[in-house]
Amino acid sequence: MKKAKAVVAVLMASTMMLSMTGCGNSGADSGNAGTAADNAADTSAADNTASADTSAQADGAEASGATASSSDLNIMLETPVESLDPQQATDGTSFEVIADFTDGLMQMDADGQAVEAIAESYDVSEDGLTYTFHIRSDAVWSNGAPVTANDFVFAWQRAVDPAVASEYAYMLSDIGQIKNAAEIIAGEMDKSELGATAVDDSTLQVELNVPVSYFLSLMYFPTFYPVNEEFFNSCADTFATSPDTLLSNGAFIMDSYEPATTTFHLTKNADYYNADSVQLAGLNYQVIQDSQQALMSYQTGALDTTLVNGEQVDQVKDDPEFLTIGAGYLWYVSPNIAAVPELANLNVRMALTTAINREAITNDVLKDGSLPTYTAVPMQFAAGPDGSDYSADQSRYSDVCVYDAAKAAEYWSAGLEELGVSELTVDIVVDADDAPQKVAQVLKEQWETTLPGLTVNLVVEPKKQRVEDMQSGNFQLGLTRWGPDYADPMTYLGMWITDNSNNYGLWSNADYDAIIDECTTGDLCTDAEGRWARLYDAEKIVMDEAVIFPLYTQCNAEMLSSKVTGIEFHPVALNRVYKNAVKTE
Amino acid sequence: MGKYTLKRVITALFTLLAILLVLFILMQLMPGSPFNDEKLNADQRAALYTKYGLDQPVTVQFFKYVGNMLRGDLGVSYNISKNTPISQLIKTRLPISISIGGYAVLIGAVLGLLLGLVAALKHNTIWDSLATVISVIGVSVPSYVFALALSYNFGFKLGWFPMLFSPNDIFKSSVLPSISLSMFTMASIARFTRSEMLEVLGSDYMLLAESKGISGFALIFRHALRNALIPIITVLAPLIVDLMTGSLVVEKIFAIPGVGSLLVNAIQSNDYNVVISLSFIYSAMYIIIMLVVDILYGIIDPRIRLAKKGGD
Repeated sequence: MKKAKAVVAVLMASTMMLSMTGCGNSGADSGNAGTAADNAADTSAADNTASADTSAQADGAEASGATASSSDLNIMLETPVESLDPQQATDGTSFEVIADFTDGLMQMDADGQAVEAIAESYDVSEDGLTYTFHIRSDAVWSNGAPVTANDFVFAWQRAVDPAVASEYAYMLSDIGQIKNAAEIIAGEMDKSELGATAVDDSTLQVELNVPVSYFLSLMYFPTFYPVNEEFFNSCADTFATSPDTLLSNGAFIMDSYEPATTTFHLTKNADYYNADSVQLAGLNYQVIQDSQQALMSYQTGALDTTLVNGEQVDQVKDDPEFLTIGAGYLWYVSPNIAAVPELANLNVRMALTTAINREAITNDVLKDGSLPTYTAVPMQFAAGPDGSDYSADQSRYSDVCVYDAAKAAEYWSAGLEELGVSELTVDIVVDADDAPQKVAQVLKEQWETTLPGLTVNLVVEPKKQRVEDMQSGNFQLGLTRWGPDYADPMTYLGMWITDNSNNYGLWSNADYDAIIDECTTGDLCTDAEGRWARLYDAEKIVMDEAVIFPLYTQCNAEMLSSKVTGIEFHPVALNRVYKNAVKTE
Repeated sequence: MGKYTLKRVITALFTLLAILLVLFILMQLMPGSPFNDEKLNADQRAALYTKYGLDQPVTVQFFKYVGNMLRGDLGVSYNISKNTPISQLIKTRLPISISIGGYAVLIGAVLGLLLGLVAALKHNTIWDSLATVISVIGVSVPSYVFALALSYNFGFKLGWFPMLFSPNDIFKSSVLPSISLSMFTMASIARFTRSEMLEVLGSDYMLLAESKGISGFALIFRHALRNALIPIITVLAPLIVDLMTGSLVVEKIFAIPGVGSLLVNAIQSNDYNVVISLSFIYSAMYIIIMLVVDILYGIIDPRIRLAKKGGD
């Protein structure tokens, strides 16, 4: 017995020693540098196995050399799913999982364009105010019931029902402009008055207040996904909390799930109308909040894809399986223009924004592939009528937003003179998370070195408190971010109109408001090209006036196994789509 | 004894009610609110407050909550798992935390007792020093360091145990987290056992027992250890509650779906109902364990039992 204890003791001690020396080791080295691709979307792989076998799921279809595997894709999530109820979910993780087992009227193709899904076809009236969707006849729920127009009407009425209090109700009212949505949300009308009606089982008619150029792209947003009324009522309050209370009309079926769980699994849906194109046998999700454990699990092969945090990037950046993927978020500094007299001074604001070395932030601090950004609308999420990225040209506002220490110092002394002071102290409020704190630290350093007489204090707060402070105007500078809700620049430009709740600095400009009006409800609604050009005029005002100081467009660093192709990454709505993915052995 | 126990139970119930009230007040003082997402406008926020009854005065909320709780309804989650009844959230998670914590207590207590006994019996030898070194390491090194070390070596390098918790193999995936959690318990128990045993072994009645011819096992276990157990149980009781309510960091490292990580996520997202329910359950467990300890004292030490009888 004594011996046994001695063994235990020695074991403990050696375990500790091992760990002290072991953790510093980095992963695989590969001489193949510079393969950090911007985009891993590769759909062609999904099509090359279109052989005639419609039956078997299990036996691999041998096609063009590679054997399509019938195994599960093992996916890492950073946070647990908050809700699988399409009208209640608000976070990217939940959206991504809901889309695994639910199809909307439209879906995203590999490039993020809206293409038909449950809708077989659609008509748009000449005035752009009426959309008619024709629902495909082979779309069924996993309990055998057909997917009908009423499933959409029921779901959309839930979304605007004040009793349901869906946080994304504004997608139907402010953004989708569906008739009567705003009035129903405000409690002035009954939900049955919503401008979405089932003409018959396979025809859904939607009426809008004004033409909405991006309306079709909203149809892949989960808030617009259908819910079967009869099934919903049979679940009562437990809807979407277990496999028994979930219905699928999509590529996969949830077969093990508990609320806020750390592991769950989906299996291929054999009754999916497009089941032939689904190659994976299932999806195996694992929530891992510890990034070191996640990376190690990936290295053992237990995961096919995982997120990598900024500190781990150096360890894996030369690995050919490392990629950075656009996440859509714009990080920016919002000055409180209305309440802080010093920040109401344009020269001071110009000094602050031109003193920021954005490259240094992305290359030296974040290192996750995030893109330095010099426009008020971030890159890579909104494509114009000609298909090009709205913010591809980052030099558009280079006369007012560029790193130039000399110019910044000039603005600064001019600003101080106008204010009649020789030094300034400014507070910047930041989230108590890792990345924002690091970024703010660098901002402070850059500002204080370039602008003599400036003292910057960091105010670090839990995110919830920071948001509350900014909403109530109780801040001077704030570091914040905004993710796009739909693939149109308006998801950003709409924020800076007078009295918008996210216009934290309470900036107001009548010309700007007029342009935004013109583009949302006015003459330009139906003129795609004209509207696009006019949006640049609006953005120019924001940049000229330094209403915000854009910093960077966020990217996520990820590892993706070389066995896996065809995962589609999007910065809007559905960040990752797996139904066209292929995993080879 | 019966009257004494009844009195203790009633006090415990009032303590719990007081704790609940304090929790309610603390929630109001927490920074932020559950529904201040940037994407919500004022009307929507108001609608959400109305939906969950947060627009009512705190006192009304409190009495409603107590009423619902008596009927077994702990409310629903606002954020971390929207609209899911808390009882459903806890039902699957608490057993996992309790079992992992239970294993940890078991491993820690048994190993700690043995280690302490060896150290005391082999006083001033190499075994004593070794036991002391292990205790010092166990007390001073945080459990997540053990967790990372174990996971790296036995999970990642050797592949003996899963690195992450798997519901398909609960026993195997509980091994590493339980061992990491047991270290502190083992070390504290070892330290206490050692010092208590040394004290007891040096006492007069041990000399008497030995002179009566009692020897070996009987001497140590019946006479020495039994007397040394009282302070050890006092130390063990809070450790049990601590371990059974889940460890935040160890749960995070091993991706265990326990209540520790649930509480932290809930606090970060101002999910009031979850925070209140879990804190309340912790308090209740603590109070119950303390009651059990009081009763155990009486069983182990007749002096306490008799003194109480006399006192009644």
